[in-house]
Amino acid sequence: MNAFLKNMLVIARRDFLAIVATPTFLLFLLAPLFMVGMGAVGGLGASQLADSARGKGRIVAIVDPADVEALRQADARLRGALSGGERPVMLDVRAAGPDAPDPLVIAREKGSDTYAVLSGPLESPRIIERNEGSSSGRYLALLAADVLRDRAAGPVAPVEPRFEAITSGGTSIAAQQSLGFGAVFAIFLMTLLLAGQTVSSMAEEKGNKVIEILAAAVPLESVFLGKLLGMLGVAILFIAFWSVIAVGGGFVAATQIDPAAIAAAGKPAAALAVAPASGWGFFFGISICYFVMAFLLLGAVFLGIGAQASTVREIQMLSLPITIFQVGMFSLSAAAASAPGSDLARFAQIFPFSSPFAMAARAATDGAHGIHPLALGWQAIWVAAVVYLSVRLFRAGVLSSGSGWKFWKKARPVAAAAAAASAAAESPSTH
Amino acid sequence: MTELAVEATGLTKYFEAFQAVDHVTLKVPAGSIYGVLGPNGAGKTTSLRMTLGIIDPDEGTSRLLGGHKPQAVRHRIGYLPEERGLYPGMKAREAIAFMGALRGLDWSEGRRRAATFMTELGLERVIDEKIRKMSKGMAQMVQLIGSIVHAPDLIVLDEPFSGLDPVNQERLEMLVRRERDRGATILFSTHVMAHAERLCDRLAIIARSQRRFEGTVDEARALLPMQVRYTPREQGEAVAALLPAGAEHKGEAWHFAIEENDVEPLLARITASGHGVAGLSIARPALHDAFVHIVRQVDAGFDATPQADAVEEAAA
Repeated sequence: MNAFLKNMLVIARRDFLAIVATPTFLLFLLAPLFMVGMGAVGGLGASQLADSARGKGRIVAIVDPADVEALRQADARLRGALSGGERPVMLDVRAAGPDAPDPLVIAREKGSDTYAVLSGPLESPRIIERNEGSSSGRYLALLAADVLRDRAAGPVAPVEPRFEAITSGGTSIAAQQSLGFGAVFAIFLMTLLLAGQTVSSMAEEKGNKVIEILAAAVPLESVFLGKLLGMLGVAILFIAFWSVIAVGGGFVAATQIDPAAIAAAGKPAAALAVAPASGWGFFFGISICYFVMAFLLLGAVFLGIGAQASTVREIQMLSLPITIFQVGMFSLSAAAASAPGSDLARFAQIFPFSSPFAMAARAATDGAHGIHPLALGWQAIWVAAVVYLSVRLFRAGVLSSGSGWKFWKKARPVAAAAAAASAAAESPSTH
Repeated sequence: MTELAVEATGLTKYFEAFQAVDHVTLKVPAGSIYGVLGPNGAGKTTSLRMTLGIIDPDEGTSRLLGGHKPQAVRHRIGYLPEERGLYPGMKAREAIAFMGALRGLDWSEGRRRAATFMTELGLERVIDEKIRKMSKGMAQMVQLIGSIVHAPDLIVLDEPFSGLDPVNQERLEMLVRRERDRGATILFSTHVMAHAERLCDRLAIIARSQRRFEGTVDEARALLPMQVRYTPREQGEAVAALLPAGAEHKGEAWHFAIEENDVEPLLARITASGHGVAGLSIARPALHDAFVHIVRQVDAGFDATPQADAVEEAAA
């Protein structure tokens, strides 16, 4: 094996083991569990609150006893055609009579939110609304009209519709753009969580004074790339762990559910019917490649910047601009994903630091495969360029070596010679 | 012509306007133990770093192990930096194997050699101890082993004795000699003269960024005259006339310096004078004295750049 690669792997192995073989890594690995747990607790609370609020809401119809049943049937018919947020709150049907309470009193009853109360004859009902022009009031009017129509037409044979779903015909552009955005978001999230850690990667070597041993033993480029590779290994382990958990969990869950219920739901099949333009297999594979490139590119930038920092405080201060930079790349790529084929999309695909995100989005909407190896090569060139630049800066700044920039190398002795000449002019020389 | 393991010529380094190293030349014969001596801040570490290619010189060149650029023969070099550095979470055996692996040694072979070295140096009980749990001296020995575990041809040690107790200093001296006997060249810096005096085949003294002396230990010591302490049996005014100019009378004894060639004539004069000898000591100066002499000369503004100048001054 090439000595450079061997050195790189030695560094990567050390870094990988130094991170993975610690109890802290377990905490890091399980962090998403805490995130999901906290999210679930928060979501559950919000959901319960919403359910509770929804359960206490109602609309009330005070109608002639002869119309009570017809009104209930009309409500069942109309309610079935509506879904989710369009569906009105519970209907409370009461028979009108001499003892019936005043609609205003009902509207103000405590213990539940009454959005609308209908009373009086169905031909000209009085509807009291909590909010003027509310959908609840309109719904009650619609129910009244439906009952009157039934009454006028007499009994009719029930409609027996035959529903047919479109199972083929291709994925819509909107769905593919959504897939593209999903890829951008997933890669962004993973790089945000994982690549940012490279910023403090060199701090250990600088703090422990190991950097001089490394600099004497191997090329600094292999140190930088090795550290990047080690961190990438940690990231891949992290992703692999959660992928196995997710796939395993899904498999176990699937075996617990009645197959008939799954078939009846039909949703998994519908989800799979949405396909990226380049095909699921290619899209999935190329997205992984782009994640690796995004990690290496952004990681190299962060590693290079972090290597210049001399204190933990400086590293902490760098976190904000680094996060802003990542969010900037995400925003650019997300905008590109929503406008495939536009100049903005082309720019995002060419600009090296947004290229992995934008190209992953492109794979969702564009079936061409040949462009992707080119993009990966372009991004790899930039990884090498960033590492090279970082090493030059590190040598020049941190190791105080004059080899960082050629013009520095020439300028320094000239400046120093000038200073020495000036000093010599001021005091007699001893040489 | 002697083969050179290190041929660093005219090394010069500026840190901003400060000239840390001024045209230092180091020529280390292969298979020798070579010391770079100098007071704190003289430029020893920067010279060694430039020699090894860790930092680039502003002027000058460095060629190692047969005229190669330092970067081309990294795997044949062992280096112990002045600022000791190890990963605290690593076990000693792994740390040594890691340092060997950096120089191309197989991990398993590195672990095997680590055990051998640590056993030889009486450190076998801490071989699987984490570095953070070790004393500073022990960690330093681990790092030293790490820098030679791959059996390098050139070993560069920057202030290797600092921080070690006398027992470990002796072990280190033994190790240095053994590596030289194996065929390696050892280049080390120090400001403790006793080690240099016992170990070095040749040495260079750097002061105020420049090399002020280069030669053997004996040549360095020969820069100063012999130191004489003479107590006559019979005191008198005439005694002063027997002795060289500048002799100081302290108590019963006279103190003065004398060249090696003048010893016998002096003894003859004393014997002939009849003042007798109640006490007499004639001592060669130690390397320490030569070092202090050179550094003081430099500090006083004397230009002792070439060796000849220093010799002339000593003679004067």
